[in-house]
Amino acid sequence: MYEFSPMGWLKHCVFHPVEGFEDLRWKKQGSLKIAFGIVFLLFVAMVVDRQLTGFQFNENYVKVFNIVPLLVQSVVYFFTWVIGNWAICTLLDGEGTLKRILVYSAYSLVPYIVCTFIAVIFSNVLVQEESIWITAITYLGVGWSVVLMIQAMRAAHQYSFGKTLASIVGTLIAMLLILFLAILLLSLFQQVYVFGYSIYTEIAYRIRG
Amino acid sequence: MLSKNSLKRIITSAMAAALALTMTTAAFADEPYTAYNYDYWEAAIPSQSAYRVNVAVTGADMGLGRLSDPSDPLFISEEAPSSLKDAKDLYYDDDNDTFWVCDTGNDRLLRLDRDLQVTGCFMGVNGDSEIAVAEDGESKFDGLSGVYVKESIVDGTLFVYVADADNSRAVKCTVESDTKLKLVQEYLKPETKLYDSKVFNPSKILADAAENVYCVCKSVTAGAVQFSADGEFQGFYGANRVEVTAAVIAQQLWRKIASNEQIQGMKRNVPVEYANFDIDNDGFVYTVTEAANAQTDAVKKLNPAGYNIWDNSVGDEYKFGDLTTEYDATQNKSYKCRLTDIVVSDNGTINILDFENGRVFQYDKLCNLLCIFGTKNSTSDQEGSFTSPNAIEAVGNEIFILDGSKNDITIYTETTFGHYVHSAVALYDEGRYVDAKPEWEEVIKRDGGYALAYTGLGKAALTEGEYSEALDYFKTSYDRDDYDKAFKYAREEFLRKHFTAIMVIIIALIVVLILVKILRKRGVQKFLRTIIKGGD
Repeated sequence: MYEFSPMGWLKHCVFHPVEGFEDLRWKKQGSLKIAFGIVFLLFVAMVVDRQLTGFQFNENYVKVFNIVPLLVQSVVYFFTWVIGNWAICTLLDGEGTLKRILVYSAYSLVPYIVCTFIAVIFSNVLVQEESIWITAITYLGVGWSVVLMIQAMRAAHQYSFGKTLASIVGTLIAMLLILFLAILLLSLFQQVYVFGYSIYTEIAYRIRG
Repeated sequence: MLSKNSLKRIITSAMAAALALTMTTAAFADEPYTAYNYDYWEAAIPSQSAYRVNVAVTGADMGLGRLSDPSDPLFISEEAPSSLKDAKDLYYDDDNDTFWVCDTGNDRLLRLDRDLQVTGCFMGVNGDSEIAVAEDGESKFDGLSGVYVKESIVDGTLFVYVADADNSRAVKCTVESDTKLKLVQEYLKPETKLYDSKVFNPSKILADAAENVYCVCKSVTAGAVQFSADGEFQGFYGANRVEVTAAVIAQQLWRKIASNEQIQGMKRNVPVEYANFDIDNDGFVYTVTEAANAQTDAVKKLNPAGYNIWDNSVGDEYKFGDLTTEYDATQNKSYKCRLTDIVVSDNGTINILDFENGRVFQYDKLCNLLCIFGTKNSTSDQEGSFTSPNAIEAVGNEIFILDGSKNDITIYTETTFGHYVHSAVALYDEGRYVDAKPEWEEVIKRDGGYALAYTGLGKAALTEGEYSEALDYFKTSYDRDDYDKAFKYAREEFLRKHFTAIMVIIIALIVVLILVKILRKRGVQKFLRTIIKGGD
């Protein structure tokens, strides 16, 4: 059947939404390195979208630039998605391994990233009257990525279409739970730290005076 | 001896110089307020003061002592107080250069000249009235809180309109002498079903060119009460809308479910009445609503039909007053904005007075915020700060503010910065962007963060065809819409200038692509062979 280089496989998956991921699974292909590269590019796309969008289209608060929210919105969300999906689908008889979910999810993000870059370039040469092109490109990227993501999850877990959708909804709920628990944990640890620090200062004062 | 003397002289002069230096620093006084402005993100940023305190004029300075001096032609009575008390309104009559003050606490109307010296005092009106008639036949004012003065466009008679709140009437009168007014028309509570309020307490009054009289009445939420010149009730004018809050929406839902009896027990959602108004030379009425932090219809510009022309379909969002609430840590209280008076000056700037913080917000015709000045009175009771600022008037380059607690009139005069802002804005609003350019440059010299100046300079550059310069200016003032316009021209110019180069690059790219494709298809060696063979 098909013989591609790793990048060739990526191209094949992106341009063949129906059977691309099935082929990828059948041939046991998919590179973890490329997947991580894509996640990094997702982060870069977010930063570029915020900072380099043409002035007439950029509605962001440009007074401060904080990289943390962008990092959370790209990298953290992605890995939460992967872990949440793995957790849900292991329970729902999914066949996907953690590695496969990560690679397939990353591959399906490519149209979104590419279209974001194109939209940023467009926003620097178009005026507001022509903003329909930017909107169209953005929608195209998002739509394509969503279709690919559904297909990727279907192929990874060997689900029916309905079950794929149900598992995606479940994954989103799982993501919320994970993030909630993570924030809870963080604030608890912060309190533990404050507690420890106040004991330390108390003892320090006693010893000194 | 001589050297000792000269040494002494040097020491004394040095000490004197040192003293003089310290004295000059000690005598240095800033404005009592901190000048600020709002940027694109509605954050308060420091600015230059556009107005400085000139003087505060008290009742004694106005010469109100003359009213209790029997030898003076303005003599009223021995007990006539020589100070203002809880004065509620100030009006400037630009036809005759006179000020009119409602001295509410003393129930008298004062006429002052341009230098705020008293030239008339009126305790009531003479004429055919039944209300509060004293022994001498004069109908006394009681709690008068609004005054408006206008020459009739028909015959030039000077008419004085007074909102006589506690007497439940408004009067229109002519000036007989320096102490006497003659009643022309009395406006009483309308006796129709349409007027459903129990009381009629006009607090502010206006008259348009056709001598229709408008009264703002407390607890009348349907708008200003409008009378024709002959005293007939005409209806209501320009009501506010109900501000949509969560409570209002919830009640609207409950009303759908509730029975008629329950609905009767509910509160009605009525709009807040506006507190004050002003009329400009073109007959547009400007209103302010005093309710704390009113967002809906806080300031309106009404056409003669009573429609707010600032609430337009373009989707512009006009905001007035403070955009953030101010927290006072010493009193654990947050101050909100309460806009109490509005005045439109001759050059079209709109001045709005905030009762709560004692601030004046000045806008141009297009509702761009120009400057903010004035402040709340502190314990130090500084000149130029206010305890209960009740009324504002604009005359030339001066702003007059009447304080009902400090019982004085404070005069603010524009600074050099303010002067440049005003002259620039006057040209800018007329669309003469290039003429305004030097003025804006002067403004920027004094306040580099003045966003409107950059927009002005950007528009000037755009008019002159300096597109890249215009882009820079609009970027600085964060004016995205104008940037977009300038960008369109800049792009067109760029394409026109570099058309040949762009076309050459595109054609070259196409050729290269075709060549690469051919090379791939045929293989490099075969292609080279055909070239070497010479087209066989």
